[in-house]
This record gives sequence, structure tokens and C-alpha cells, in this order.
Amino acid sequence: MATAAHHAPVTDKTELPVERSDIGLVRPDRTTGLLDWLTTVDHKKIGILYGAFAMFFFLLGGVEALAIRTQLAKPNNDFISAPMYNQMFTMHGTTMIFLGVMPLSAAFFNFLVPLQIGARDVAFPRLNAFSLWTFVFGAFALNVSWVFEFGHLQGWFNNYEWYSKLVYKDFAPANGWFSYAPLSGTFGQADAALHAQRFTGVGTDFWIIGIQILGVASLAASFNFIVTIFNMRAPGMTMMRLPVFTWMTLVTAFLIILAFPAITVALIELMFDRQFGANFFNPTNGGQPILWQHLFWIFGHPEVYILVLPAMGIVSEILPTFSRKALFGYPIIVFSGAVIGFLGFAVWSHHMFTTGLGPVPTAAFSLLTMAIAVPTGVKIFNWVGTIWGGQVRFTPPMVLSLGFIWMFMCGGFSGIMHSSAPADSQQQDTYFVVAHFHYVLLGGVLLGLMAGLYFWFPKIFGRMPNAPIAYIASAMVIFGFNLAFGPMHYLGLTGMPRRTHTYQTGFGWEQWNFVATIGAYILGLGVFLAFANLVWTAWRGKRAETDPWDGRTLEWSLPSPVPAYNFAQTPVVTTRDAWFEHKHGGARIGALADGGPEGVHMPSQSWMPLLAAVGFLMVGLGIPMMSMGIPHLGWLVIAGLGVLILGIWLWAIEGPGGYHLKTPSAKTVTPTPTASAHA
Amino acid sequence: MFLAVRRFLLTSLLPLGILTLAGCAMRRFALTCLLPLGFLALTGCSKGQWVGRQSPMDPKGPLAQSQFDVFMDTVWLSLILFVIVGGILVYAVIRFRERPGQANTRPPEQGHGNPMIEIGLIMASVASLVVIAIPTLEAIWYMDDVPVESKPASKLSAWYTGKIDPKVAEDVLTIDVVGKQWWFRFEYPQLGLTQEGKRAIPNEIVIPRGKAVRINLRSEDVIHSFWIPKIAGKVDMVPGRRNHMWIQGDQVGLYYGQCAEFCGDSHAYMRFRCRVVEPEDFAKWVEAQRVPAVEPAANSLAATGKALFAQKNCAMCHRIGGQYDAGNFAPDLTHVASRTSLAGAWLDNRDPATQLAIDAKGNTELSAPIDPALQRKNLAAWIGSSGVLVDANGKPVHAADIKPGNRMHYYRMFNVAGLNETKVKLTQAELDAIVEYLMTLN
Amino acid sequence: MSDSAAAPTSTGIDHKKLIMWLFLASDCMFFGTLISTHLLYRKLYPTGFTDAEGHVRFVQNLFDIELTSFSTFILLMSSFLMALAVSAMHKGQIASFRRNVLGVILFGLIFLGCQVYEFTHFYHKGLTIQNSVFGSTFYVLTGTHGTHVAIGVLWLILLYFYSFTGKLRGHIGALDVEIAGLYWHFVDIVWIIIFTVVYLVEYLGPNGIWGSAVATITP
Repeated sequence: MATAAHHAPVTDKTELPVERSDIGLVRPDRTTGLLDWLTTVDHKKIGILYGAFAMFFFLLGGVEALAIRTQLAKPNNDFISAPMYNQMFTMHGTTMIFLGVMPLSAAFFNFLVPLQIGARDVAFPRLNAFSLWTFVFGAFALNVSWVFEFGHLQGWFNNYEWYSKLVYKDFAPANGWFSYAPLSGTFGQADAALHAQRFTGVGTDFWIIGIQILGVASLAASFNFIVTIFNMRAPGMTMMRLPVFTWMTLVTAFLIILAFPAITVALIELMFDRQFGANFFNPTNGGQPILWQHLFWIFGHPEVYILVLPAMGIVSEILPTFSRKALFGYPIIVFSGAVIGFLGFAVWSHHMFTTGLGPVPTAAFSLLTMAIAVPTGVKIFNWVGTIWGGQVRFTPPMVLSLGFIWMFMCGGFSGIMHSSAPADSQQQDTYFVVAHFHYVLLGGVLLGLMAGLYFWFPKIFGRMPNAPIAYIASAMVIFGFNLAFGPMHYLGLTGMPRRTHTYQTGFGWEQWNFVATIGAYILGLGVFLAFANLVWTAWRGKRAETDPWDGRTLEWSLPSPVPAYNFAQTPVVTTRDAWFEHKHGGARIGALADGGPEGVHMPSQSWMPLLAAVGFLMVGLGIPMMSMGIPHLGWLVIAGLGVLILGIWLWAIEGPGGYHLKTPSAKTVTPTPTASAHA
Repeated sequence: MFLAVRRFLLTSLLPLGILTLAGCAMRRFALTCLLPLGFLALTGCSKGQWVGRQSPMDPKGPLAQSQFDVFMDTVWLSLILFVIVGGILVYAVIRFRERPGQANTRPPEQGHGNPMIEIGLIMASVASLVVIAIPTLEAIWYMDDVPVESKPASKLSAWYTGKIDPKVAEDVLTIDVVGKQWWFRFEYPQLGLTQEGKRAIPNEIVIPRGKAVRINLRSEDVIHSFWIPKIAGKVDMVPGRRNHMWIQGDQVGLYYGQCAEFCGDSHAYMRFRCRVVEPEDFAKWVEAQRVPAVEPAANSLAATGKALFAQKNCAMCHRIGGQYDAGNFAPDLTHVASRTSLAGAWLDNRDPATQLAIDAKGNTELSAPIDPALQRKNLAAWIGSSGVLVDANGKPVHAADIKPGNRMHYYRMFNVAGLNETKVKLTQAELDAIVEYLMTLN
Repeated sequence: MSDSAAAPTSTGIDHKKLIMWLFLASDCMFFGTLISTHLLYRKLYPTGFTDAEGHVRFVQNLFDIELTSFSTFILLMSSFLMALAVSAMHKGQIASFRRNVLGVILFGLIFLGCQVYEFTHFYHKGLTIQNSVFGSTFYVLTGTHGTHVAIGVLWLILLYFYSFTGKLRGHIGALDVEIAGLYWHFVDIVWIIIFTVVYLVEYLGPNGIWGSAVATITP
């Protein structure tokens, strides 16, 4: 490979003398091992960490899902109790959305965006590390509630005074991922001891603080990516030449920064209700629980697009690659993505059609919801247009992408069915809705993300995933998924409500529930197989070429795996699909020898983002435990805030530092196309 | 059963078999993707499949009918679009698959889109949505309140045969529904069956056939949702908010309802029943509800039960009209033995086999009679669950909850820890007496 | 925070400045949500709150509009000084910067002091976070704003001391100050909105904009 020659081994940063920060501390400088992973500011390593944690939580959420399906396999089942079931479905939803899909999308943002726009890193590498660790600790704070729940079931706490004082002994969140007040909030007059009546235990406090911390992580990451995409594009990379995935990242990041404040405020208000006896959602004192629903869904509906737009971006990269044809109607795809993001803020009340909004708002939100089907449909038309006239190659990512389109289309159509408020009044909170959003979020988003994993895996690890296993896993996922969620359409239409831990015989739901459970197990095995394949081949796979799929965007011009500095010279692009045009068309990628004789400037590693995030962890553990009544835990919260401030302060004054890496060909300007053999 | 097995085999094994046979990834993909369509076709082929006890696909009232009609509009539109778009996708994938030897040739023409096609498709999408938007809007306003044209026939003076206050005679029947964790309380303010009037109706709502009924929805704790699928779609009961809806049942029978908003531990058990009766039967039913509870014969087992009902604090929360009137918190038990269900309509007092046989004929709204033996068993099980029934050594017999979190056993309403320990304890003899007493309350 | 502050950017806007604008956009939604909550509940419950003795009290009696106007004026003036500080930094006049930023810190502290006084004063008049929806929305909204001011003051104090290390200079130093200034101005603008929709509108018309019956005020 000609390009490989330009990226021969370079000076390692460990060869440099020990670097001291502005405050005199030694900066970490490992390139391998635990210390490296904890202190890294390299967007590629951060992306891999995001992906690894996301896959772990995907499997955890999957185990919760299987517990739910096992419980529902037959009527009047007692595999798990009702409180346990409620904790399971709450944590399943929360885990899959906040700890599965969002961080897996973030993994792709991290790994790909700088590579796709020809940048060396994100705009704020240390802020990026902070986002990662804040996410990890937020996820930990949320899930540590299971440890308490387990301890409570095992009777570990029986001898403690605080335990005997607890009224509600559900330790994991049990309000559903939407946590409607007042079930999640308070009720009745607050007395001198500040405690109004509650309906749920400290699980809700874990949920509130966990989501709050995850929100901080998402916001920080989104600010970072918007700046990166606006400011760090390679010369010639105009906005309308950005790869579609990067565009969708941009739209998603904007959705996050505009939607998350609503949930942040709602969580603050709910926390004040629970901890300090405020009245935001307490109906006894005039609070309106319906306000929680509005605030939640003003966040929650854009959140749906936050989940799905990255997957759409991934599919918009994969389809052209394996059709060997440019994306059909690039401007329309980009524009429809932006319109979806915009309209996503105007349809939240369709989650509330049954709350008695009155006919005028119901009609307005019904029509707006139908309207949002148009830009979504446009994307599907354009994907079909991309395939049309191409040469479709059925690699694993392509099979999964086609599966994405098909499942997303099914989910879209059932979505149209309940955009109509009268029809929705029968379907709201039934399994029909469960089927709908799993077709969109599992059949859609998960297949899209899996396609992305298989597509970029060679670039990430420099090894090829095992193709036969990938096909088998994909078939199992698609088949098991349809077997699990197809019947739920039927169950919902015949009146089976959601979030019920069991059902009676005689309602005609027995057979299809059983079928759905079988499907869920096949799906679970498929996902496990697909992930296991990736993990195994990351170490043992066949070495990948630089450009195994005949890729179209800049990342495929780099060696696999990508060197720390990404681009030896900054690329200069003149067209969309720059790498494909470089190989097969007339437009060549130029290069800017910006490194100079001393090489490429690299940011230094740092402990401070991790330290600041640890502060969040302490707060996240402290507040719910304080709320449990465990003595002295207020100090943990105060110490956590101290650590947070200390981390940010040291971060600010340690200075960015940095060092220079020698690149192999500081003098050579043009990268040589690797895939000329294809021409 | 055979049908079900065949259907199951067809949906699950057939595609699996084809998958195994299909060697190439493309065919595997295309066929797997067709699965949902095949599934719909298979389940759709027999109408009987859709007539479940709680199936909105079998509407028995004008509201459920209008909602069903709008739904079917969306289904047909979606199906047509699905076949067109899906067909083109499948065709494109097959037609433009990579042929052997193509891999190393020049790539195909790099088209970048066609604005006219795109604009045309956008316009077509908008046009097709208008098709469902119009019936949607009609149905939204229809659902909102009792239609003017239904009012003359539905006002109380037009059909109610019992005595009625002239002030409300020109109104349609209004029922207040109150949601509690985890049961429903129904009040008929125009007819004096209210909580204040010391006679509210728990868990079984009765409405006259063919008459529009206005429903006011309230909640006393968390959010619940009122839903009788065969009669009307759901509307939420939100604390601090006054929602309303209207319903009408056009066929006499017993319908199944359920809380449709997650409301805590025993959400699954928060069910209720709706009886649609002829208007003249409705008046008789109202009269029957007004009658106080039957006094048990002196020195009978039931009389012992009556005494125990107060001794064991049951009467603190439960009202038994004419005998214990203080209880305001829990379901009214004045006529508990006349109801087809117990414990938030979770425990069925009718013989399940008889009911299933009736259901099998496709008439799930017909109800089997109450089976007294089963009713007695249900009562004993319900009261004695959660460790209330104790053996001679004071050990709980049934530790498990029939309805987890239920306040009858947990006293959570007081929001004070430790009260779990003050739970009522009953010996078998005491339980039998209380059950005997309740069985007399027809 | 930026690790490549000096590098040219595609838009020509510095990374740090852009990220601060994005943060402010997000913070707009944050305060927008809080203010909406307050206004929605104000509209729903036009009368004020019931104090510990069970008297219904009206918001107009509660507010001390002279004091709040004074603290608003102080905050506005601090923004003026902040602009002077930024300008001084751009001209490289470090001494002038220090003077002005010290003024901003002082004014910020006066504002916070007024708020602390106001909170305790209202608390003694019977408005608590628990006894009414108005109490909840008022304390949380103005308290959140106060937290923003406090963070700003802390930031400026750090910048003030940092200026003595000699590292706060040149283009990057001016940029750091300018970004702190952006934040400070934003917090100031939010206060002007809060002052208008939370305080001033209570005095519109004889009965207040929410129709609370001010005429029948009880002491």
C-alpha cells in the first residue's frame, strides 16, 4: 500500500522528556495501558471507550429486556415480582436510550467526525475526555441502584436504622423512563420534616441524578462537536461537502443543546419537589403534573431524533459505498435532516394525546406529527434512489443497512397510524406503541449502529470482522427482532396494555406473547453474537487493508488503524466524496504541509477531566444515599462538588501543553490513491 | 389450538427454512424483511382472531367505531405506500445487485439526484397525508364531547324510568370516575350514588345501552387512564386536572376496561368492568344500589364476621352501607357479592371455563354467571394474602401479595415506616367468618 | 480550555468564543424553561401564597421593588464595567483591566447580597419554597440565576488573580476575558428579563397583569 509508506512508525511521545504542566505537575504520557486509557485525549481512543461502554450497557439492557420477556412468556407468570418488573422496564428503557444508543452514537461522532472533516482531533480534546468520564460515572450512578436493590433483597441492610425508616424499598428506578409526576414526585402537604408523601423510593433519586449527570456529558460533547464541525474543517471542506454522517452529527448536537435544558430544568424541579418539598408537580399544593409531561416531552421527542439521526447518517454513508454510487439528492437528505430536527421540537404533545389537551391542540399536534413523516419519507426515497442504478454489494454492513431501511419503514408506517389522535387514543400505552418504537429504535437505530460498527471496524482496529458470523448474526437479529416485535402489533391492537407485569388468560394474548419471547431470545443471541464477533476479531481478525470497502470519504484514505495524528498533512478537498473522486474521478485531494519540520502538534494527556468527572460521581452517589437517610452522606455531596471545582480549576490553569510528533513524510504533499487498482 | 400452532409454525419456521435454503445474503435479507408483511397477512386472515375480550378492533360503540374507522384509513394508506415503496426497494436491490466481475470495473454513473423527482415525491407524500388528516380532524371533534344530535335521545328525562331530580332531567347521564392506586371509583351524582352520599360504586361501571354518557375523570393520587377498548379510547385521569370524555355502548353486555397509564406497583391489576344494560334495567340497578346492605341473621357465622369486620379495622376504610358508614378510603363493599370480580377486577368470580366457551363463539361481551364457590375462594384468597392469614403458631400462610403495594395490606397511605408490622392478622376461623359475612352482601 | 487556540478556524471565530456562544444558546433554553414554568403558574394562580398564619398574601406586597430596582441597576452597571475591562484587555492595559474587573466583582457581590437579603426577607414574610407554587418557582428561578452570578463572580476572581501571574496577556488573554464578558453580559440580560416578567409585570394595571386583586391587600 502506497499510503502506508507515508505513515511508517513515528517518534513516540514517550521518547520525549517528562513534560510538566503550568502548575508543575508531571503530565501523563503513556501511549498504552490503563494510564493511557484513563488520561487519553485522543478522539479515537475516546470513541473506542464510548463504544465499549455502550456495548456493555446494550448487553445489560438486553438482559433486562429478556427478564421482561421471560416474565411475559405466559399469563400470570411469577418469574419476577411486580416491583422488580417495574424496575426492569424502567432501567431497560433508560439504559438503552441513555447508556446504549446515545453513547454508541457518541462513539461514532468521536471516532469519525475529525477523520471525515480532515481534522487532527476535536476542538477541545480534554473536554471530550471529560464528556466520556462524566457519561461513565453517570451511568455508574444510575446502575449502582441495582447493587442497593440486590443488597436489599439479600437482607444486607436489615440491621441499619436508616433502612428500617424507609417507607418504600424499591432501590432501582421504577417510574418508567419518562418518570411521570406525581408517581415520581410528591403528594400531600409537606410537613415540618420537609417530607411530603411519595409514591416511589430512592430509585427515583438515582434516576434523577443519573440522568442529570448524563445530560452534562451529552451537552459538553455536543458543544465540542458543533465547534469541531464548524471550525476544524479541512480547506475546501465546505458545509455542503461535509459527509452526511457529519451533517447528521451536527443536527443531533444542536438538538441536544436545545432539548436537554428542558429535561435539566424538569429534573431540577422534580429534585426540589422530592428533596426540599417544593410544589412544582405536587397536585395537593397546586402543582400541575401535566407540566412534567410537557417539559419531559419537549426534551423527549427531540431525543427520539437524537437517537435516530446518527443512524440515518451512518446508513447514508454505507448505502453509497456499497452501491458504488453517490448519495441520491445529498442537499435534500441534509435539508430533510435539518427539517426533522426542527419539526422534532413541534410534535412533543403527540405523546400526550390522551391527557385531555382539548381538540385544538390535539388537532394541531396530530397534523404536525403527520407533517414530520414527509422529511422522513424523503430520506427513504433518496436511499432507494441511491441504490437505483448502482452495483449493490451485500457485505454485512450493507445487509444491516438494508435491514435498517426496511424496519425503519415498518416503524414509520405504524407511526403514521398513531399520528392520528383518534386512532392513538386506542393505541396509546398498548403494545402497538411498543412495537412501533422498537421498529424505529431497535430495527432502525440498532441495525444502523451495528451496520456502522461493521463498516468502520476495519478503520478502528485495523482488522476485518468475521463475515460469515456477521451474516448469521445479522440474520438472527433481523429474524428474531421481527418475531419478537411483529406480534406486538397484534397484541396492542387487541388491547394489551404496556408496562403491565402480567396479564390474564382469556384475552387472546397468550400465543403471541410466547412467540415474542422466543423472538426476543433469538434477537438477544444475535446481538450477543454480533458483538462477540467484533470483540474477538478486534484482536484476532484478519488484517484490514487501508480501504477495504472502496470507501468514499476522507477516513478511508488513512491507514488502518489510524495513526495518532490522523493526517500527516492536512488534506485539501475540492469535492463531495473526496476520496472516491480522488480514486475514480477527476478531483484529487491536495495536501497542506502544515506540520513544519518539527512535525504535527499534539495535545497533552491530562488527569483533570477524569478528576472533575469523579466529582460528579461523588455527587451522583451522595444525593440518593443522602435521600435514603444513610447518615453523613451530605459530606460526600459537598466533597464531590469540591472535587469537581478543583478538577475544573486545575484543568484551567494546567495549560494545554502539547508536543510535536514527526510524521513520516513532512515533505511529500499528495497522498497516493490506494485503490487505483479498482479503476 | 391446532390453528394457532400452524400459524406459529408458518410465521416462524417458514422464513427460517427459506433462510437456510437461501444461499446468498441478498435473498436472506429480502425474505427476512418480508416477514412482518407475511405476519400481518397471516393474522389478518381470520376475523375471529381480532375479537378479544379487550380488543378495540371489535368496536361496540360509536366512539370506538369512529376511532376504528380512522385507524383503518391509516392502515390502508400505509399498506398501499408500504407495498409501493417496499416493492421498489426490493426491486432495486435485486435489479441492481452486483454481478460477478463487476467489482473491478469502473463505478456506475455518479448521479447526484433529480430535483423534479424529489419535489414530486414530497408533494405526493403531503397529498397522501391529507387523505388521513381529514377523517382525523373529524374524529377529534367528534370525540371531544357529547354530540348535539345525540343529546335529545340521551337526556335523562328521555329514557330514565326511575325517580329523578327535575334539575338534572334535561342533562345527559354524567358519571364521575375517580382513579386511585389501584382501583376505580364510579359516582353517579345525578342519581345520588356518590361518595358524599355514602354509596359510590367501585370497579364495575354500569351504563344504559344506546345513550351517550358524559364521563368526568379525576384522580386522587397519581395519573391513571380510563379505557374501555370496545367502547372508547382512553383519556387520562390527571390529579389537579379536570378531564372529561363521553362514551356510549350500543350492545348489551359486559366489557373489560383497564388503567392504561403506568401508576405504580400493581398497575397491571388496575382493571375494571363496564356493564351495558337496557335503560329500564339501568333504573332497576340504580334502585338496587341505593338499598343498604343486608343485615346478617343473629348468631350466624355471618354475624360474627360482621363484628370482626369492625374489630379488625376493615371498617376504617371500607364502607358497608347501613352498617359501617365511616369508611371513605377503600372500595365500597355494600353490594360486594353482586359483583363479577374482586380486587380491582383482577380476580374473576365467574367460572373461567364457562366464560371461555362463551368467548369462543365470538361474543366476549356475554357474561357467564357468578360462581359462588369461586367467589368465596377469591374472597378468602384476597383477604388472606400478604401474610394476613396466620396459622395456629401465628405464622403467615400466604406470604405472597396478590396485589403488590396494595394499601389494604401495607398501610402505605400513612407514609410512615414500620406500619407494615401492624398488619391485620386473621386466623382461619376469623377469615371464614368475614368471608361468610361478605358473601351475604348482595 | 482550548488546546489549539492559535490555530486558524474554518469560520474565523475562535473555538472558545464559539463554544461560549453555543453554551449561551443552551442556557437560553434553560432559563426559557424556568421562566415559562414561573409564568405558567403565575397565570394559573394569580393570587400569591398563604403564609404560616394562614393569611393569603399578594405578591405586590411581598416585593420590595425599590431594592430590586437598585440591584438591577447595580448589575447593569457591572456589565458596563465588564465591557470596559474587556476593552482594556484588548488594548493591553492590564492595570485598567484589574480596576474594572474588581468593580465587576464588587457589583456582582452587591447584587448577590441584595438577593440573599431579599430571600431572607421574603422568608420572614412567610414565603417558603414549600408553602406555594409561587414560592417554588420564584426561589428556584431567581436562585438559579443567582447561582449563575456566583459562578461568574468566582470566574472573575480567578481571572483577577491570574492576571498577576503574567500569563494573562496578548490576544489569548484578551479572548479569555472577552469570553468571561460574554457570560457576564448574558447573565445580566437574563436578569433584565427576569426583572421584567417576574417583578415589574406584577405592577402593571391596578390589579396586576395576572389579575390578582391587589386592591384588597391584607398587610
